[in-house]
Amino acid sequence: MLSVIAKLLKVLNSENEPSQISLAIGFSMIAGLTPFYSLHNILILLLVLVLRVNLSAFILGLAFFSGLAYLLDPVFHWIGLHVLTAGLLKGLWEVLYNSTIWRLERFNNSIVMGSILLSLIFIVPLCVLTNLAILKYREHVLAWIRKSRLMHFIKASKFYATYKSLSKLKGEL
Amino acid sequence: MMKWIRWRGLVAFIGIIIVLSGLWFLFIDTFVERMIEKTGSRIVGAKVELADADLSLFPAGLTLKGLQVTAPEEPMKNAFEIDRVTFSIDTLNLFRRKAIINEMALDGLRLGTVRKTSGALPSRTARAPVVSKKASKKVLGKKFKMPLFEVPDVDDVLKKEDLESLRLAESLRADIKREKDNWRARVQDLPDKKKVDEYKARIDRIKKARNGGIEDILNATSEAAAIRKDLKHDIKNIKGVQKEFEASRALLKERLNRVAKAPDEDVRHLKEKYSLSPKGVSNITQIFFGEQVGKWVERGLIWYERLKPVLERAKEMKKDSEVIRPLRARGADVRFKEYEPLPDFLIRNTKASLELQAGTMTGEIRNITPDQDILGAPLDFVFSGKSLKDIQSIRVTGTLDHIVPSIAKDAANLRVKGYRVQDIVLSDSARLPVTLKNGLMDLDGHLAISGEKFRLETKSTLKSATLKVGVQDETDLLATSIRSALSEISGFTLCVDVYGSLDKYDIRLTSDLDDVLKRAVRRLVQTQVAQFEKELKAAILERIEAPFKELDISLTELGIIDDEIDKRINQLDGVLGDVSARSLLGNKKFPF
Repeated sequence: MLSVIAKLLKVLNSENEPSQISLAIGFSMIAGLTPFYSLHNILILLLVLVLRVNLSAFILGLAFFSGLAYLLDPVFHWIGLHVLTAGLLKGLWEVLYNSTIWRLERFNNSIVMGSILLSLIFIVPLCVLTNLAILKYREHVLAWIRKSRLMHFIKASKFYATYKSLSKLKGEL
Repeated sequence: MMKWIRWRGLVAFIGIIIVLSGLWFLFIDTFVERMIEKTGSRIVGAKVELADADLSLFPAGLTLKGLQVTAPEEPMKNAFEIDRVTFSIDTLNLFRRKAIINEMALDGLRLGTVRKTSGALPSRTARAPVVSKKASKKVLGKKFKMPLFEVPDVDDVLKKEDLESLRLAESLRADIKREKDNWRARVQDLPDKKKVDEYKARIDRIKKARNGGIEDILNATSEAAAIRKDLKHDIKNIKGVQKEFEASRALLKERLNRVAKAPDEDVRHLKEKYSLSPKGVSNITQIFFGEQVGKWVERGLIWYERLKPVLERAKEMKKDSEVIRPLRARGADVRFKEYEPLPDFLIRNTKASLELQAGTMTGEIRNITPDQDILGAPLDFVFSGKSLKDIQSIRVTGTLDHIVPSIAKDAANLRVKGYRVQDIVLSDSARLPVTLKNGLMDLDGHLAISGEKFRLETKSTLKSATLKVGVQDETDLLATSIRSALSEISGFTLCVDVYGSLDKYDIRLTSDLDDVLKRAVRRLVQTQVAQFEKELKAAILERIEAPFKELDISLTELGIIDDEIDKRINQLDGVLGDVSARSLLGNKKFPF
């Protein structure tokens, strides 16, 4: 059982370049902040799986942003409603409203619109900032963590040995 | 670029989609079933249960089997039960989030069926049904109370009440005593025997002057004139006093007469006070059937409130766009102009067979949608049945027009002919339960709801009727009297007129039963009133008898004062008769 979980983690963590992690966090923000059962989340899932992004980071980010979305729902509603009822955009919304695919997307829901809009605005800054943060982390904090007592304790566990042997085997192959 | 592509991820994606689709196929029926049960229970406020749900994709449609909707007020009964519901959905519009059902069939629709288990929601999960507070308040309803008809005990009444006759008698007794004392004192002051003797002494002195000279005679004549004047003055005074006395005595006599009549006034007042007037039991039909009719009306209005979300949704306009708040969804859906407008939910035509105890009624409901303003057509329905087991014919039609929600108009008509009624509880009052054992009824009804105002008018004619009336207490005179009157009735008409607003309305019931029942009750009331009156009068007279006799004697005693005054007048009159110059001086002749 331990070896199966270790194998899964190994696969998931194989893409651990800072850009792969930060892009995964960006995708998780869209999927987490917007209503989960939305059409665009199928596309996000496809991108997350097909592009070499870090899946662990995506899953962690999804859990974090889903929780955050509960707090931000009133904000999404307020923004979404204002955007959807803005006179300037009325023509555009009418065209989309009469399109089947956009109706399936439920763009006319205030929370869907608000959350997508905010996610799209923040995805680029989030990716850039996360990328920088990971680089700084690896440069300054990682070495200190590796020397910490907690890390020593983890490394001594049976689970870590299995994880390590699998990594070694993969490297030899 | 290729280093960014993870081809195994594509396989995983396809795998996930396949797995999800498989799970969907496996569990969607259960999911739909649970969703219908959960949402339905929340709307109704009692258990909504479904035996089975079957969702098909090609063509898109749904079949529901064994749908039971509990009546919230009676958890051991279903408001209705449907054996099978089948419909197909317009697939293309479904992708546009529009549930358009062209044909729906409801087979085996039954009302008021008995449940095997209670349909009440557990208190942990029970939530208030989607009914306005106004409607839920109405459950309390109006209570029509039949007046208690008890002849009060005369002794109890007299113990509690202050009798006007006794009060008058007491006051008169005190006044007579005071008057008596007053007149006794005044008579004391009148000229008495001593005064008469004084007059006689003066007369004697005149008589002695007869043998004197001219001067004596002249003095005597002058003295005689003075005596006459004094006497007349005294007599006049006494007569004045006598007149005053007579007036005072007359007043007292008049008051005594009033005391004599006072018991009648007391009886009239007490009779009214203890509600023994026949006018207290007017409109007996209202009292009799009002509560039951009130319950039916309340139940109907509660269901109307429950169904309202099916006809109208909460919408608001915001900058030319319509914002709709769905029953259960987060956020708000903004609706824009559609090139081909269609409601979000629409059942164009529903065919239903309603299974009653009397037989099967068939009917159609057209245009079920919460967006009548978009469809531009009202919901209308028609149900009918002929040659049923106990009904010659029945037809229900109606239109629920919410195209412009602010001026919504709903109307329904019901016509029943030859309905053989059996064991219908007309009044479940413990005091006077009435059951219509059997009869043949024709019924016409019309309901109109406009905004918050509504009016329901029905007229039922019952022939060959047998009424069973149970009386809890045989000493309850009103109940026994009504039973006796109803046992002679074989037919009647009952008109129900309910009007007002949905949260405050009046129920007016009229029936030719009114006359029959009123006559019976009036007869009873009159008999009882006469008896009560007789007993009350006798009791009051018994109480007033002694004081009255005492008053009479006291007033008679005042006659002694009158005699005394008379006596004194007579004495002075007698003296006055002796005081003429001739009688005093005899035949004495003057020399000139």
